[in-house]
Amino acid sequence: MKKMLLVYILLISAFALYVLRFEYTSQVNSSWEDRGLRGDIGETYIMITFQSGLEYWKSPLKGFEDAADALGVTVEYRGATRYDAKEQTMVIEQAIARKPAGIAISAIDPQSLVPAINKAIDADIPVVLFDADAPDSQAYSFLGTDNYKSGVMAADKMAELLGREGEVAVLNLPGQQNHEERTKGFRDTIKERYPSMQIVEVADGHGDAMVSRDETQRMMKEHPELAGIFVTEATGGAGAGEAVQTAGDRHPLQIISFDTNKATLDMIKNGTISATIAQGTWNMGYWSLQYLFHLHHQLTVPAPSSSGENAPLPVMVDTGISVVTRSDVDDYYAK
Amino acid sequence: MPLRYQLMLLFLLFAIVPSVGLGLLVNWTVERVVERQVEGHTMQLIGKVNEALNSKMENLQNMTYLIAFDPDIDAFMNDKMPQNDDAGIEPMNMDTNAETEQNRLYGIKQTLQGFTTLYPEIAGIVLVNANGDYISNEMYPRAEQSLIQENWYQKASANPGIFMVLGQPKERNLTTHVRYKDDEIVSVARSITDEASGRVRGVIMIDLKLRSVSQAARNVTLGKSGYVMVTDEEGQSVYKPEHPLIEHIPTDWFPSGESGTFTADTEGGRLLFMYQSSTFTGWRTVGVFPTRDSISEVRQIQFYVVSFVFVVCLFGLSASLWFSRSIAQPIFRLMSYMRRAETGNLRPGRWSNRADEIGMLGNSYNRMLAQIRQLISLNELRERQKRDAEMRSLQEHIKPHFLYNTLDTIHWMARKEGAEDVSGMVGALSRLFRIGLSKGQDYIPLHSEIEHMTSYMQIQQTRYRDRLQYTLNIPEELRDLFVLKLLLQPLIENAIYHGIKGRRGPGHIRVEARLEHNRLLLTVQDNGAGMSNERLAEMQQLLEAPLASLEASSPGMTGKSYGMLNVQARLRLSFGDEYGIVLESQEGEGTSVTIIHPLMREVPPTKQINNEERQESEWENS
Repeated sequence: MKKMLLVYILLISAFALYVLRFEYTSQVNSSWEDRGLRGDIGETYIMITFQSGLEYWKSPLKGFEDAADALGVTVEYRGATRYDAKEQTMVIEQAIARKPAGIAISAIDPQSLVPAINKAIDADIPVVLFDADAPDSQAYSFLGTDNYKSGVMAADKMAELLGREGEVAVLNLPGQQNHEERTKGFRDTIKERYPSMQIVEVADGHGDAMVSRDETQRMMKEHPELAGIFVTEATGGAGAGEAVQTAGDRHPLQIISFDTNKATLDMIKNGTISATIAQGTWNMGYWSLQYLFHLHHQLTVPAPSSSGENAPLPVMVDTGISVVTRSDVDDYYAK
Repeated sequence: MPLRYQLMLLFLLFAIVPSVGLGLLVNWTVERVVERQVEGHTMQLIGKVNEALNSKMENLQNMTYLIAFDPDIDAFMNDKMPQNDDAGIEPMNMDTNAETEQNRLYGIKQTLQGFTTLYPEIAGIVLVNANGDYISNEMYPRAEQSLIQENWYQKASANPGIFMVLGQPKERNLTTHVRYKDDEIVSVARSITDEASGRVRGVIMIDLKLRSVSQAARNVTLGKSGYVMVTDEEGQSVYKPEHPLIEHIPTDWFPSGESGTFTADTEGGRLLFMYQSSTFTGWRTVGVFPTRDSISEVRQIQFYVVSFVFVVCLFGLSASLWFSRSIAQPIFRLMSYMRRAETGNLRPGRWSNRADEIGMLGNSYNRMLAQIRQLISLNELRERQKRDAEMRSLQEHIKPHFLYNTLDTIHWMARKEGAEDVSGMVGALSRLFRIGLSKGQDYIPLHSEIEHMTSYMQIQQTRYRDRLQYTLNIPEELRDLFVLKLLLQPLIENAIYHGIKGRRGPGHIRVEARLEHNRLLLTVQDNGAGMSNERLAEMQQLLEAPLASLEASSPGMTGKSYGMLNVQARLRLSFGDEYGIVLESQEGEGTSVTIIHPLMREVPPTKQINNEERQESEWENS
């Protein structure tokens, strides 16, 4: 009987060993490229912007793509081809229908996209906003420049360039929250800190180089004493720069632009534009995807936030700004 | 080998060998079939990736044509733009047509932006004309050196009008503003030619983000634990995963042909390669798999098969253990009981109440033991009786001669003297002794038995005179049958002493012989006192077990029934239980004793007691 018991034990232990080996090897097999924080290739994250052809988006998209490579997931880029809230809403609706793992949105304006964003949240699709916020939506987080602060910084730089006096103008994109905030920051600072300076006009540059050039030329004619101009976005900055170049020495103008595209950097290099505000655009894309990934995989622990609700993510992330002038412009060119 | 192990081995053989064989067969078949299917499937997937890449490239080719169709770009290629090193944004010229040039440049850039808007997988587009002027939204040269000198420009212009897949750029004098690294993009280019002269007017180069290639390749989940990589014509990988099994696949490994399969030994072990190449791009889409890895589905099936075999083994083992024990144990027990019986201990064995053959075997064995015990005791009794008889006959051997001679002498003397009745009586006595001894034979003819009985009767009649009468009714044809000797005389004696003697007036004894159912029936009937019912029952009970009754018989009752019991015992011993005495009696009416005797036409070969059965069958046949 003892012999039989031995045989049984031998048989069962051999089988147990086999099962263990099977489990072990199948684990090794399945995880051959899944070490660490990695998602599935089938997870698709979508980045949605407006005016999707803008060069400005290429940097956040690069960040988004780099994060996708790091996490092993798939990303797609979609956007309204024009500056059109309805079109962007439609693009978001299309994205929701495809049930992605997450959506990063740059809102065309604070209000129009709120229903679409909330619909995505209701469909259990994580949404974060980057670059341009829609504060009334249920999106988990906003990653972008503190625009008000960038306006303040631009005002300080302008005051420094003009010796704290003179007439200044603003060329912005009315209706878009980030541009409004930049303008507000600029305006508040001038009003509070630099009493001998005044803003003579806030013009609409339409985010287009030609329109901005024409507007700048018009303002230069209407306000002969205009000494400085703050442009809240890059294309307009180039347009303003062109206008100044055309005017030549007849009307020197200090231009503070926004963002660091090639044209802007070139103009800083040749002195047409005095300074520009650089945003952490790559960071916006990169961390948006990281946040979405963490939300999708439920890796975060909700904690009370400033809004009083339990938020799984930091509600507001400042991706940082810096002032670029002729002295450090070379650092901002691509290597 | 003990029976138990033989049985176990047999069961195991029949349970495990087929299941193991089945398992192996299933495993082999599944592996072969699934392997073939997976390979076919994988090849298809690789083909799909290849197709996807082709269509991407065709798209890009179409894009270069679309770009070239634009009249402004055509003009730029025809060198109608103001020359400027820095085409990023044109500084204002005081020329009269500067405004239109400016607008045209703006238009071109808008057109290019339109393409990148619709195709986010494009990292950048650059247009270069023969003068080295360039237009691009995203790219600009690193150093102040004409782009015409660039390797990619030379390559594109060497193949005028032909779409070229350049692969990953290396050390080119171009950078994208968004800082796409060289290994993150794949560039394609096509030169624009003059229709008339065939002169190269410029080159359109498009940078495709590599991730759009890798996405197509990575999206493929293969049945095997491998991956898909894409290599260019030189075997340099365009895309490979982060931890490839092989860094570089030499081109001479690939057999000729658009697609195929081959294996090769590498540092990472033996690898299976499945590839399809595209003539359009010159790229090869290669699936790389370690050969030793089996497909996970096959492993799963293997796992189930092994589990099944294990369960069968376990069950088979248990079942064979149980079966072999249930069969071998009773046999083993039977063996030990037999050993015990061999030593002379005939105690019956203990058996479980099984209804099958094994249980029957045990019961039969017990019955056999009982029978043997009975036979042995019977044999002992016979031997003893035989010895007693021999002793008696030895003692009496001397007497008969002396007795015969004496009786003869008396007989003749009585005749001489004229005493007829004395002479007759002595003659009868002499016959009685002669037949009674009959030279020691057990069986005598019925007529001798009758003679013996009549001699006895004659003597008794002399004694009782008219009080005793008898009738013989023996058919002539039965007189030559053989019977056991001295059957009738004890019964006659009984009839006289217990029947006639106890009766007033003359008694009558009838002796009859007849055949019934192939048996000889001898009846001795008297009209004497008869027996009371109690006495009859007692006698019948004694007759049931004559041997035991004889053994236990007390001297007191010997006189009454010894003779009958003796006859009964001898009948039973000689012929078995179906023969013997049937006793009938009625108080005051008389007694009838019937001997049921087998029909014997000749003297059976006696001696052996064990031959009973054979004798029986012989008697039945006769």
